[in-house]
Amino acid sequence: MTKLVEVEDLTLSYRAGASLTRVLHGVTFHIDRGEVLGLVGESGCGKSTVGLALLGYRYNSAVIERGRIMFDGGDLLQLDQAALARIRGDRIGFVPQNPTTALNPSMRVGQQLAETLILHGRCRDTAAAARRTTELFDLVGLPQPGRILRRYPHELSGGQQQRVCIAMAIACDPDLIVLDEPTTGLDVTTQEQIIALLVDLRARLGTSMLYVTHDLGLLAQIADRVGVMYAGSLVEVAANRTLFAGPRHPYTQGLIASVPRIDDPDGIGQRPLKGLLQRGELPPGCPFAPRCDYAEAACAQAPQRLEPVKGNHVVACRRWRDIARHHEGEGRARRPARHIETAASLLHAEGLTLAYGVRHGLLGRLFPGKPSLVVRNLDLDIAPGEVFALVGESGSGKSTVARAVSGLLKPTAGSIRLNGKALAPLVGERSRDERRDIQYIFQNPDASLNPRARVGTILARPLAMFGSGGGMREAIAAALADVRLDQSYAGRYPDELSGGERQRVAIARALIAQPSLLLCDEILSALDVSVQASIIELLRKLRAERDVAMLFISHDLSVVRTLADRVGVLFRGVVMEAGTVEKIFSPPFHPYTLSLLEAVPRIDSEPRSDFLKTDSAAEQPDGKGCAFAGRCPWQLGDICREQPPPWRQPDRGLGIRCHLPLDELRGIARRSDIPASKGAVS
Amino acid sequence: MAAAEGAGGRESLWALLGRTPLSLRIGAAILIVHIVLAATGPFWIPYGYSQMGAGMPLAPASLAHPFGIDQLGRDVFSRVMYGGHIVLILSLSGTALGLVAGSLIGLWSGYVGGLLDSLVQRLLEVLISVPFLVMALLAMVAAGPELSGNPFLVVLVVALVYAPRIARMARSAAIEIATRDFVTIARLRGESAWSVMRRELLPNATSVLLVEFALRAGYAPVLVGSLGFLGFGLRPPTPEWGLMIAENRSLLLIAPATVLGPGLALASLVVGLNLFTEGLARILGRTVKLGVQQ
Repeated sequence: MTKLVEVEDLTLSYRAGASLTRVLHGVTFHIDRGEVLGLVGESGCGKSTVGLALLGYRYNSAVIERGRIMFDGGDLLQLDQAALARIRGDRIGFVPQNPTTALNPSMRVGQQLAETLILHGRCRDTAAAARRTTELFDLVGLPQPGRILRRYPHELSGGQQQRVCIAMAIACDPDLIVLDEPTTGLDVTTQEQIIALLVDLRARLGTSMLYVTHDLGLLAQIADRVGVMYAGSLVEVAANRTLFAGPRHPYTQGLIASVPRIDDPDGIGQRPLKGLLQRGELPPGCPFAPRCDYAEAACAQAPQRLEPVKGNHVVACRRWRDIARHHEGEGRARRPARHIETAASLLHAEGLTLAYGVRHGLLGRLFPGKPSLVVRNLDLDIAPGEVFALVGESGSGKSTVARAVSGLLKPTAGSIRLNGKALAPLVGERSRDERRDIQYIFQNPDASLNPRARVGTILARPLAMFGSGGGMREAIAAALADVRLDQSYAGRYPDELSGGERQRVAIARALIAQPSLLLCDEILSALDVSVQASIIELLRKLRAERDVAMLFISHDLSVVRTLADRVGVLFRGVVMEAGTVEKIFSPPFHPYTLSLLEAVPRIDSEPRSDFLKTDSAAEQPDGKGCAFAGRCPWQLGDICREQPPPWRQPDRGLGIRCHLPLDELRGIARRSDIPASKGAVS
Repeated sequence: MAAAEGAGGRESLWALLGRTPLSLRIGAAILIVHIVLAATGPFWIPYGYSQMGAGMPLAPASLAHPFGIDQLGRDVFSRVMYGGHIVLILSLSGTALGLVAGSLIGLWSGYVGGLLDSLVQRLLEVLISVPFLVMALLAMVAAGPELSGNPFLVVLVVALVYAPRIARMARSAAIEIATRDFVTIARLRGESAWSVMRRELLPNATSVLLVEFALRAGYAPVLVGSLGFLGFGLRPPTPEWGLMIAENRSLLLIAPATVLGPGLALASLVVGLNLFTEGLARILGRTVKLGVQQ
């Protein structure tokens, strides 16, 4: 194979005022023709900057200090803007992270693609471009390409928009496609479809790719080789299998250990990454030395060069020979299986129906409007101290349930009881104790902390509202200690904290009120994988130390598996399956649960491509029957679409809402390749 | 190599000043001159502001009388210098009063929302749609003859003109901030509307309100001047610039300096304030943008 791309000693800085901040330190790698190279690392490691550099693009403040980017024999850095513009889109395609902002909202998608084709002289006129566009849309698996090309971006689902972006990237048969986190904003089932599409396209077109992501599990499925970046340096490059089987760099080992494993719920946190990347305090030598378990004094002195381990496996660690191979955690204490008897109930919701756009009062009675139903007839029971996870893809109504429980949204029907007492529908009508008992933690700590208030002030408010007297200062210090933060943090502003620290503060703010129920709304999804691992660890400790129940909302089944006692699987506002965590993750499965489980990218799995043509948007609107009927590969026929499925209980502690007989559901599970769970009791 | 990374650190004040927009620096320089003259003027002016016989009435501008002598034989330069602090104080306190009232109404209305918000907004729209001079006239009439010429009335009129406009800006800021999660958290905690306004909304609206204040203050001297010019403002012999322009306007051809003097003072103040505002807005806009990128 010949080398298509050769990046040599690329060193790049950003100018901030008079000073330069170096973001890439002598990055060197190559991509062969037809090869997929994955770049992985925590946010801020410079992986996207590398991706953009391959397009010959750099931000205005970027200064290239040294290095070459050879693309097919020519140096991209020597080209002028006009020459770069000819190459971009023609020989190098780009797939952005967020297709919603990448597509022009005021242009039909077909037109946008035709523009590229005509600009690069691939098609002479609009008629030819339209024909080619139809072909391309068909190639990327868009249903009815002839009709889709007349749509505007907002008329397409997120997955379809990303398919359009991919079609645009491959439009001119490029030699290389740069993909910058192309599935990060998508649902897990959509993500799987996009990955399957990319694997398929690559097999058919033989295009080289640079796949930039923070998700190791994804790279395991698509990349030939994987490069691990840390603080602007490549620290390890190896073939896919080699890297995951035997990572040599301590950082890679920590990163792999941080990924929550669905088949090994207790594996997380065994070898967590210590500390955080702090750009200002990097030593002249190995940037990872301050966080490394194996660091010696010499590590921080001299820069580490990539040296070969075996074949094309290279690692930038002078001690790689001394570091024992990534050892499997042995003899670890398994999480005690908790069986909380449901004799006592902390939160009990019955027949909960939730809708947005409902008008109340006289006006509402006269002009009811068109409310959109989000959650239908939901029953929920959470015992004191129990962690109940609600999973489902976006739009399934998970967060809406939390909003109703917290009193932000008035249910259309149904009741919510806390400790046996009915709760008022809106928070303004609830008592002080009821408000204290339920605390909400939001997804994004950047938005949930007042940027103009110090951490101490943020924590002082709930104390002033709900506190039982006593020393404010001590209580704040104790709350910070609970979330493993030093008490000096009380004097800081949120923008002086990292993302993980901010989420810790948000957790502390909820805990300081001494609640009995925490509503955790996707609290991990805005965080890096290593930070995620430490927050999961924190939540598990809190669960053991305190008697606080959680309604844990997440789309990430691996995380749910490591944390939850019981799980409810929500689809279109209907609970499809509910039960204890062991029973949910072992057969029989509801078909929807199964599709979610299969979609989870795993480090040790092959990519699948049989999901290619099913698109989550191509579904029937809600009818009388099963909400999942439009997407279910095993549906029985009309009965699924016409009649509401029954709630069956195959086992104590498990319920499934499906028409299929239980034996059949067990059979489905056997045919799929869901890993027999290591830790399951079943 | 390593130095390039670690560099940055604390910048000197001068370096920081060097990076501010040029308009801010020019505007600040003009403002400082105005403030210094206004603060010290009453102590060093060669003639009293109402002292007659300072020179030949209608004498042209000279070194001794840079802005000439008015009909009553008063030195116009001394009057302009003396009047500076009056114009500044009236403009700034009027704008400040408008800011306080406007932000309170706007933040509250934006946070509470619903029917109350709609009512308040329609009321504000009515107030904004009334031309400012008509509004001033109405206020004068409502206040009655005994308050006429009272500086507080001028301040009140300026505030009355500005408050609805500032309220609209504050309201839109409040609506944007109120959608953020930390406000939802405060609501869930059961905080009162006043507490949410004070602790969560106001600190996050300061940059909007600061620019709004500077913007309005930049035009306030013209408001005060217009009131004086039309005779709704202060009474003679107060050396308020607008009033002086009105008094001397019949002399525009005979002794132009007597009009141009106070006109120049008013114009330079407004230009200075506006340049300063423009620079300030750019700084605040820039820091906000930086914050988003991080």
